[in-house]
Amino acid sequence: MRSLAPAEVEGVVVDDRGAAAREIDSLVGMAIFLAAWAMLFAALFLAYGVVRVQAAEWPPFGAPRLPRAAPALNTLLLVAAGLTLRRGLARARRRHDARVPRPALLASILLGLAFLGAQIALGQVMRARGLLPSSGVYGSVFFALTGFHALHVLGGLCALAWLALRDRRGPRPGPGAEPLRAARLVALYWDFMAVVWLLMYLAIFWL
Amino acid sequence: MIAPLPHDASVNGHLVDGIFRYIGVTTTACFLVMAVVLFAAVAFHRDRGGRRQARYTHGNGRAAGVMSVLVAAAIFFGIDAVALRRSASDLRDHFWRFPDRDPSALRVEVTAQQWAWTVRYAGADGRFDTADDIVTLNELHVPVATPIYLKLRSKDVVHSFYLPNFRTKIDAVPGSTTRLWFEARETGLYEVGCAQHCGVSHYKMRGLLTVTSAGEFRRWAERAAADSALRRDNGPPAEPAGADGWDWES
Amino acid sequence: MPERQVEGGPEGAWPRDEASESDAPMTRATPPGFWRRYVFSTDHKVIARQFLFLGLVFLAVGGFLAMLIRWQLANPGVPFPLVGKLIYGASGGLISPAAYTALFTMHGTIMIFFAITPILIGGFGNFCIPLLIGARDMVFPTLNMLSFWAMFLATAVLTASFFVPLGAPQAGWTGYPTLSTAIGTPGPGQTMWTVAVYFNGASSIMGAVNYITTVIRLRAPGMGYFKMPLTVWGFWLTSMLNALFVPVLAAGMVLLFFDRVFGTKFFIAGAAVKGGGDPILYQHLFWLFGHPEVYILILPAWGIVSDLLSFFARKPAFGYRVTVWSMIAIVVLSALVYGHHMFVTGMSPMLGESFMLLTMIISVPAVLMFFNWLGTIWRGAMRTRTPMLFALGLVFTFGIGGLTGLFLADITADMYLHDTYFVVGHFHLIMAAAVLLASFAAIHYWFPKMFGRMMNEPLGKLHFWLTIISLNLVFCGQLLIGYAGMQRRLYDPSVYDFLKPLLWLNRGISHAAFVLGAAQLLFVINFFWSLARGRRADNNPWQVGTLEWTVPSPPPHHNFDRLPVVRQGPHELGNPRVRDALGRDWIAQDEDLP
Ligand code: HEA
Ligand code: HEA
Ligand code: CUA
Ligand SMILES: [Cu+2]
Repeated sequence: MRSLAPAEVEGVVVDDRGAAAREIDSLVGMAIFLAAWAMLFAALFLAYGVVRVQAAEWPPFGAPRLPRAAPALNTLLLVAAGLTLRRGLARARRRHDARVPRPALLASILLGLAFLGAQIALGQVMRARGLLPSSGVYGSVFFALTGFHALHVLGGLCALAWLALRDRRGPRPGPGAEPLRAARLVALYWDFMAVVWLLMYLAIFWL
Repeated sequence: MIAPLPHDASVNGHLVDGIFRYIGVTTTACFLVMAVVLFAAVAFHRDRGGRRQARYTHGNGRAAGVMSVLVAAAIFFGIDAVALRRSASDLRDHFWRFPDRDPSALRVEVTAQQWAWTVRYAGADGRFDTADDIVTLNELHVPVATPIYLKLRSKDVVHSFYLPNFRTKIDAVPGSTTRLWFEARETGLYEVGCAQHCGVSHYKMRGLLTVTSAGEFRRWAERAAADSALRRDNGPPAEPAGADGWDWES
Repeated sequence: MPERQVEGGPEGAWPRDEASESDAPMTRATPPGFWRRYVFSTDHKVIARQFLFLGLVFLAVGGFLAMLIRWQLANPGVPFPLVGKLIYGASGGLISPAAYTALFTMHGTIMIFFAITPILIGGFGNFCIPLLIGARDMVFPTLNMLSFWAMFLATAVLTASFFVPLGAPQAGWTGYPTLSTAIGTPGPGQTMWTVAVYFNGASSIMGAVNYITTVIRLRAPGMGYFKMPLTVWGFWLTSMLNALFVPVLAAGMVLLFFDRVFGTKFFIAGAAVKGGGDPILYQHLFWLFGHPEVYILILPAWGIVSDLLSFFARKPAFGYRVTVWSMIAIVVLSALVYGHHMFVTGMSPMLGESFMLLTMIISVPAVLMFFNWLGTIWRGAMRTRTPMLFALGLVFTFGIGGLTGLFLADITADMYLHDTYFVVGHFHLIMAAAVLLASFAAIHYWFPKMFGRMMNEPLGKLHFWLTIISLNLVFCGQLLIGYAGMQRRLYDPSVYDFLKPLLWLNRGISHAAFVLGAAQLLFVINFFWSLARGRRADNNPWQVGTLEWTVPSPPPHHNFDRLPVVRQGPHELGNPRVRDALGRDWIAQDEDLP
């Protein structure tokens, strides 16, 4: 049942449907966003599949092989970042705290940064070995897909940084502004990008 | 019909025109029914100063259901299904039945580039990409009443080889080979158009298709072979023999 | 005219939910300050107006480009009069071949992504959804604002691309590689095109997330899915297509951008390229989005028109559920038919035949919907006010445009018709006629609610008649000339001998197009005049029952003083019981049957 009681927030009267309702709203919205992102990456995978199937040989003759072990480590970094965030979230919920504990937040940011750094390093190594975005579809797939994914991780990092900054000023009290909601959405996004990376890792580095 | 449809010089073009005519007649009939109902409603079922009362119905009744099923079935079975069946059989029996095994078919390779068509015949040895190939620019000569089997490639961007008088076209795509076949019903001079936007001079990418009798075609081929050889001997050596040609099977 | 008072809250004693028992009036203070109120507003009604104005400006730009196109086709090689020297100074007003390719590229891109999309989906989607379902705003107001500013950014990039060295984008609105890569169009213009389309897509996706969630979560009590006005259904379904298929376009744009900027080779192939990708791959990505896109554009129009036909025929919408299910069926099928744009790329016969079959199946739900429209106006008591005229115009032009789709759906016919003006005529009859007319219908219909004033009827009717007549001449002319074999995107058709005799037809089309363009000035006049001077609108000038007409015109910041509780379907018109008890032929959605 909808609650129609007005509530006062910073002098503006809003209709508050309750924190629980807002929580569901944001989950529905996020689900649609994630579906959109899923289509985006699915289309990129489709492109990869098409050029791959049409290539005479994969990897093409003379192209340097992509390493497998190092990116596995990257995978761990990304997953670890997601896990710390999740754990921080769980702890906050247990304590009825409106903030994700700062250490957890900072740890995920650092892990995320490490992931990005490692990805960039991987790209540099491949460049040094002679694989360039312009050296054919093999290089194109590697740089475009991992690069585009890295941009999305960067976006997630921005969201985490925003959370950290916001929470430093203290949680904003009041109905309709339950701060954990945002953290939860960021965590969902982060998980999603981890899954995408995992698929990418399997598809590009192993298949 | 009212519009000046280009003269049909092909053996199979009438199939295209036939399907067009069938869909044209049936959809025009649909359209007329629709227009009559629409205009009748506008003309007769008006408010007229509040005197008229609208019929109160949600259109959920059985009669409405039966009517809409009938209309949908009429469109689907009357237009769609017929056009579909005709088109599928035309494609299988004619347009997509490439004269791969037909020894009488004339094989031609077409290379599109901004903004010209390079046409290549196998020459005397019957094999492509060899020294005796006949190469012409923007000029396609073919004998009448012979299946002409084209394979197309593009050097730069996507083009589309369009024969209005033969009711057909096919894209020329960089990186892959497409094919098309047609057969002329009568001799004459026809135009080849480019139908896919391929840059600034897309509108100028015009070729000529000359359909002649078999004998005349043979004479032309001899002359053209000599011309090609001459061009190759005197031309700039930069271009290796058969630069744009390729093995037919590849 | 029986007018219902709503300012003081709903009158009449119908039982209310306990939940809505609260007596405190629901107010949300209008945010203070010019910037927060009009520029960075989160109010869906303000954002709607921002989208609407943005779209109208670009409609005018796109229309002007169309006039240039038609000028060149009617008078090849003659300088454009009056302003020609201003635009094409270097050539003395002459439209060069390069300029012409930029013209149709920008015309198509602007009309689809930057005119119709912001007007219908951004503008009316925003305005209507909360009001029609009884909500106080969108569920994510800030996201809504971001959606507008993403669109604004996209328009800025696209506009800038007119003025960069090497010229505006030139690869057609479809941007096929390899023409759209550095091979065919070097220079920053085409790159900016990919960026603009990408941000435009981001805007659409943000809007879609908002619309879908709003409809799911914020429907007023009692507003079941099958009590929603069909307008809302149209926007809702459109949003689903937007959320799922715009990302596919975005992926195409990303890869194209990489190909242009970083030298990747996804879509590049050809004689000089080693280890290249596949240009056709782009076409798959583009049309996997592109065909849903055409339904994205027309679903709102269908919804609006299904409602308006009922409202102005004073009759319930005929076969409401069948209409809804037809729209759903089209949404489901939309992604499965996209291959019909690629019949002559040399696709495999089996694939071709499947696409042909699926495309033809789409005509079944379309026809069902069409049948219901005719059923709605049949035996009604029609009031041919301006919005109704435009709605009827959609029915007529969509009829022709949709039926011409059946020719194109047939591979045998499409081998001849593909990339001729027949295709151009087909989609203009739907998009530039039907969808545009629906936009005009929506503007005339909701203008009073948006701006509190009525638009001028006589001027609106004159605009309608001039538009519909010249429109049909232009676009049916295109069908004819396409049937005669004329290719699209031709700078000068007289290069071809077989097209030389058609100059008179091209001239005729152009003259009709100039009339069409001039007629739009009437609309501009009407719009601005009514904005300033139009008759004040009361709450419910059209006497219909959907929720937006139960609140003042324009609605207060918070839309509804009390959240309405929905009792009726949206089209309860001409109900004898209502007529006997209340003396009027309509009943509001939140009223009880007497
Ligand atoms: C809003 C836009 C819109 C809509 C709704 C449609 C709807 C349809 N389109 Fe169209 N189309 C475009 C916009 C649209 N199209 C565009 C932009 C292009 C070209 C893009 C480019 O290349 O630049 C295109 C191109 C295009 C092609 C490719 C042509 C080519 O390039 O060779 C094809 C081929 O199948 C096609 C088919 C169809 C079909 C079958 C429908 C069907 O949905 C139509 C269904 C409707 C009906 C069948 C009519 C309704 C029924 C009646 C009137 C019956 C009345 C009678 C009684 C009730 C008795 N379209
Ligand atoms: C919704 C989309 C839409 C709309 C509305 C239009 C509208 C028009 N179009 Fe266009 N067109 C396309 C979409 C559209 N078009 C597309 C996608 C292409 C393909 C591009 C390509 O090949 O890549 C195309 C291509 C195209 C061509 C083919 C070019 C070629 O292939 O060489 C032609 C030629 O005649 C043409 C003509 C017209 C005309 C005369 C109009 C007229 O209807 C225009 C009349 C309208 C106006 C004159 C504007 C009126 C202005 C207002 C009402 C503004 C009011 C403002 C305020 C109140 C502030 N269009
Ligand atoms: Cu080649 Cu157009
Ligand atoms: Cu389509």
